[in-house]
Formats: sequence, C-alpha cells, structure tokens
Amino acid sequence: MMQLEEIPVVGPLLAAGADDRVFDALLVSGPILIVAIALLGRNPGSVALAVAYTVGFSVYIGYKGIRRTPERKT
Amino acid sequence: MANRIETIARDLGRMFEALAGLILISVLIPLVWREWWVVPGMVVSGMIPLLVGFGLSRTFRDADDPGRLHGMMIAASGWFFVALFGSIPFLLVAWTAQLDPSILDIPTRFTAEGTRTFSTLAAFQNPLNGFFESMSGFTGTGLTMTDNEAALPHTLQWWRSFIEWVGGVGVIVLTTAILARPGSGSLTLYESEARSEKIHPSIVSTVRTIWWIFLLFTFFSILLLWLAGMPMWDAINHAMTGLATGGFSITDNSIGTYDSVAIDFALVPVMILGSIAFPIHYLILQGNLRNFYEDLQTRWVFIFFGIGTLVLTAVLFDQGFYQTDTIAVAGVVLQGQAATLFQTFRFALFQFVSAASCTGFQTAGSLGPGWTAPAQLTVAFGMVVGAAAGSTVGGIKLIRLLTLAKGILFRLRGIFYPSSAVRTFNLDGRALSDEEAAQEFEEAAIITFLWLVFLGLAAFVFMLALPMGPGPDAFTVENVLFEVASAQGNVGLSSGITGPAMPTVTKVMFLFNMWIGRLEIIPVLVLLRGVFASLEVYE
Repeated sequence: MMQLEEIPVVGPLLAAGADDRVFDALLVSGPILIVAIALLGRNPGSVALAVAYTVGFSVYIGYKGIRRTPERKT
Repeated sequence: MANRIETIARDLGRMFEALAGLILISVLIPLVWREWWVVPGMVVSGMIPLLVGFGLSRTFRDADDPGRLHGMMIAASGWFFVALFGSIPFLLVAWTAQLDPSILDIPTRFTAEGTRTFSTLAAFQNPLNGFFESMSGFTGTGLTMTDNEAALPHTLQWWRSFIEWVGGVGVIVLTTAILARPGSGSLTLYESEARSEKIHPSIVSTVRTIWWIFLLFTFFSILLLWLAGMPMWDAINHAMTGLATGGFSITDNSIGTYDSVAIDFALVPVMILGSIAFPIHYLILQGNLRNFYEDLQTRWVFIFFGIGTLVLTAVLFDQGFYQTDTIAVAGVVLQGQAATLFQTFRFALFQFVSAASCTGFQTAGSLGPGWTAPAQLTVAFGMVVGAAAGSTVGGIKLIRLLTLAKGILFRLRGIFYPSSAVRTFNLDGRALSDEEAAQEFEEAAIITFLWLVFLGLAAFVFMLALPMGPGPDAFTVENVLFEVASAQGNVGLSSGITGPAMPTVTKVMFLFNMWIGRLEIIPVLVLLRGVFASLEVYE
C-alpha cells in the first residue's frame, strides 16, 4: 500500500502532519470546505460550516490550553 | 572556486525546480476561470525554470554540501533568480495580450489600447516592471507596478498572491520541505534565509511543521475573511497575502475598497498571526498559551502594536482627519465625537498593524499627502522596526531593538558597579555570558546600522531622481523616507511614489532595497563581495 510520504511533491508535507487528530482533520477539511463554499455561495448552510470551522479551531486551541494547565501543576 | 560554483549551481537548480512546480500548479487557475489564453504563457513560464533547474541539479548533483559562505551566496542569488524567473508569467501574459493571436480569442478589454485595463497589463511588457512585481511579491513587500489590480487577469492576481504566500515563509523553506535530503546542508541554507530558530532537532521536520501551521492558518484566515463579508476569491487572495504579511491586493484601493468595519477588524488578527514567530505558534497550538505573554518577542508584538495604535489614534484625532457624524457598529449607532474617535481608532489600528507587521494593506486612501508628518512618521517607525524575528515580517525586528535597548542599559548600569563585579545579561529568559552578550549586541548593531545606511542611500537616490518640494506632482522628504522604509522593510505601504511611471533608477534601487530587506542584508553583501572578487573588481 502506498504511504503518504510517497505521494509526489506534497507527500512529505502530508506525512509530516500535525500529529493531532483535530488539526489533521482541519488541514484536510479546510480546502474541501473552501471549494464547497466557492461552489455553493453564501447561504445559511455554508455560513454555518465556516463558523463551525473557525470557532472549532479557536475553541480547540483554548481547550488544549486549559487541559495542559492542570498537567503542568502535577 | 569551481567546487563553490558547483554547490551553488546545484542548490539553485533545486530552487528553480520548486519554482517551476509553483508556476505549473498555477495553471489550474486559468482553467478554473476559463482564461484559456493565459495557459500557453504560464506553461512556458514554468518550463523555463524547470529545464534550467533540472539541468543544474542533475549536472552538479555530486557537488559538496554548502558551508556558511555557500549558504549565504545561495540564499542571496537564489532569491534574486527566483524573482527573475518568477517575473516571466507577467512578461509572457502581457505580451500574449499585446500580440493578440486570433487562435487564443483574448477578451477585448485586455487588447483594446487606451483603456485602463489594457494599460495595467501592458505595464508588464517592460521586463523591469515584471521583475519589480515579482521581487516585491517574493520578498513580501507589496509595492506594485499595477495601476488597477482588479483589472488584471485572475491568473496574474493569483500569481501575485501565491508568490507572496510562498515568499512569506521562504523559498528555501519551501525547497527544503519538498526536495531536501537529510544531512544535505539544509540547516545552513535555512539559516541563510534570515531564520535561525528550530522547532524540532531536524531542520527538515522543522520546515515541514512550519508549512502545516501556515496552511492551517491560511484556511482559517480565508474562512474568517469570507465570514466578514469578502467574496471567496477576494478572501483567498487577501488571506494568503495578509498572513504572509505581503500586502498585495486584488482590488484597486487595497482593503479600503470594501470600506467595511468587519473586514478591517477581521484582517487585524490575520496580520498579527503573520507577525508571531513560527516556533511560538507551534507551542501555542500544542496548548502552551502562556507563550502569548511569556515569550519576549510575542509579548512585545502586542505591546508595540498597542502603543503604536494609541499614538497614531491620538495624532489623527488631534488632526481631526476622520471627522464622522454617525456610524453604526454591530447595531450600535455612534454619533459626534464618539463616531469620530471610533473611525480614527479603526483606521489607526489597521494602518499601524499593517505597517508594523510589514503587511502593507491600506484602508486609509489619503495616507500619503493627507496625513500629517507626525502620523506618517509614526507609521514609518512601525515599518522600520517590524515585529518578531522568525515570523513572516520584515523590518529590523523587535528582538534586535530590544537587544540594543537592553544592551545599552546594561552597559550604562555597569558603570555604577565595581570593575570586579560579576554581572549576567539576561535576554528572553537566557543568561548570556560576556562573549554571548557581545555577539548578540554586535549582530543587532551591525544589522541596524546597515539597515539605516541603505535606507539613507536609497533616500538620497530618490531625492535626486524625483521632483521634490511643494507642488501637485512633487514629493516631500517624509514621502521619500516613508516609501524607502516601506520598500526595505518589505511593507508595501505607499505615499504615492511607486508606480510604473517612476524613473528606472528608482525601480532598480527599490529592487535592491527589497532584496536586502528580505534577507537581512548580510547574505547579499557576501554575494556581491564574492562576485566582485571573482571578477577581480574587488580584492
């Protein structure tokens, strides 16, 4: 089976990834979402998806920060 | 000598291959926008660096790995030639429109002489204008030779945004991420591109991490700008150039075209993201949010941006430049002085962050002649200083200014201590030995000094070449200083001097300023010394 690393040009970048499932998912879904919005235009559904992406990204960083703080104390 | 040239040629070849990949990938854009007539020019533009790069990298594939000297020469010459090859799309697309072969069925707005659309594209028939645009793009400057960006074919709009986006992280960083072999001198090249910080022990892992962070932020920024009200094509281009702190726009009046409070405020965090060093971004994405205030540079990015905005707001408010009767913000109607204060703060925040982050987006249309000299010089100071080293910004960088300021205080305080006292110089949480401290001061002082020397040189050339003094077509000294600081700081804000009609000598001077500004001067001087020495002009 072909490994990510073996894909020409962008393979090494994809394989490097973020080592974090949520960031990896955001990296993969980002361009798909942008193309979908470009095709669908501005409507409540596309706005909801864009809000979910941007808010989800911001909240996840905050969540990681909060989760990390107690770990530092132990 | 022969070995040195072989090493340089091999690594330049790899950079040209990477550039060719960028151009050929961009052929997708004319396909999406149905600009078929642009395709031949783009394909030929991609094939030239591909063939040259392939030839060089294969011919000299067994050359030695680069040392520090080679690294600097490769970085300096690489950026020069990448900008040169990157100008070919501008040249070929402009000449395709000029020659207008009937088989390509070019829209008449690009071929009908006398229109603004025609003259905008025709400016790139002059190779120097294309080279200027390309150098401005790759170095993240944003000064432009276009008269009306909105009139350009979508493919060239994209190419301008794309080269700024790539140039923001670095051509060598891109080449290393895609084509590097471990242990092939990548660290030397990486450090020669005005970067020194590592995220991981491996330099290849470091640059790949930089790229996924940059991609993630790009997607986030595109969607944020779209939510703020930008059309998707505009959001894609402005997110790329805003995050790269480049500042190219696809509209005639930059961000001022939208005249939208939401878009202005959405772009501010995008530009700030580009102003923070990548290793700090990495730590923050790992959940270590304390770096926002624990890291010296990041803390000072916010302090510097905050103080600069307040000063600029005060100066502009005192001038009464943004007198506003009524404005509605998020459903709240502001009137009188409150409305004026809000509008002044809005423009001051955007313009100072745009300047200090070295982005160069403009919302204040009359930033040049309309603002008072103190307001222009406040913005110019932001451009000269810049933000964090290790980010996408230009300028002298905050860390150097802080090093010099702390160093001067350290030396002054030392006078009050006995000569036998053992003192430690602390910088960014590191306790430095005397030797390390001296090295830090020296590096910061040399770069700052050279920066100011070349700033003065360019200002001198401009004052000789341009009409100076009062009058509608003349420029003032502060206009010149503003424009030169903008070019060398890789900012792109303009007081109205830069354009296709500017004298050739000033275009060449700005090409040099943008080039040295991006590489922090030393690698370019090393390259020029090497070239002059080999030509026996200098010994």
